[in-house]
Amino acid sequence: MIDIYTKKENSKDWIIQNDLFFNLYTSNEEMSENEIALIRQVDDAKLTSDKHIETIYGLGTIRNLSSGCKTLLNIVKHPEKVVCVEECGPNVLKIIFSMDNIKIYMSRPTLVELDEDVQIRFNDTEIVTGNSGYNAWWSREYERREADDL
Amino acid sequence: MIYEEIKFKADPFSYDLKFEDRITLVGGDSGTGKTVLYEMLEDLKMTEDYSAIKLFNYKTDGVFEQLKQCRNKFVVIDNADILIDDEIRRFINFEFSNQYMLFLRNCDGLNVSGKSFKVMRLCNNRVTLEEEL
Repeated sequence: MIDIYTKKENSKDWIIQNDLFFNLYTSNEEMSENEIALIRQVDDAKLTSDKHIETIYGLGTIRNLSSGCKTLLNIVKHPEKVVCVEECGPNVLKIIFSMDNIKIYMSRPTLVELDEDVQIRFNDTEIVTGNSGYNAWWSREYERREADDL
Repeated sequence: MIYEEIKFKADPFSYDLKFEDRITLVGGDSGTGKTVLYEMLEDLKMTEDYSAIKLFNYKTDGVFEQLKQCRNKFVVIDNADILIDDEIRRFINFEFSNQYMLFLRNCDGLNVSGKSFKVMRLCNNRVTLEEEL
């Protein structure tokens, strides 16, 4: 189940500023083989054991990863938190929507192809399944916003 | 337009960025070098030719207060999806003296055209902005 929240909250259980949270906290955690593979997949970056990275743009540290990659790692490392995915590109969103038991914040729909068996719960209430359920929910949400003049 | 083109070398790369609208939204996949470009612009804005560049990202204090002071600037906002609100969108729409390059995916409320949507392309160490399909 993927939990999606569509109204922003200021809470310590939410991560809105993914770069900041990653640079201060997540980057200091141990990275597993799976996480190293995700870094390679998204940023085409090679992570060394001392947290340096090597990309086509040169050498840097783990804090030089892209915002999308940092967001993904924040989700993987902190599944209990609601993580804002609004800065993520399609390549990262595709990975996020293939995950399970995560909580994300998005205020608008994103163009992403979902598996038909993916279960999504919106705002702790409505549960939908797959691409059709996801798209139908957002259609209703936009009708609601239009009616409320939002 | 403040700049119709921003062109510079940053070995081994050369950047050749052409702008076709007062507002350019740079989107596309994560990890394509948007923040690397932003960091290059931090240096480039120190040069006489590109002194109109004004940069904002999540580390900037009082984004709207500083943005309100901008006139005849080439405004670049990284992390724009989390930084700009409705008030800033209105300012961008109506402060015509500025040009904007926004690293942004959500164009709601912005007066954009088909020529506003770009992605970064790297080919043979040359970085360009191409139309987002």
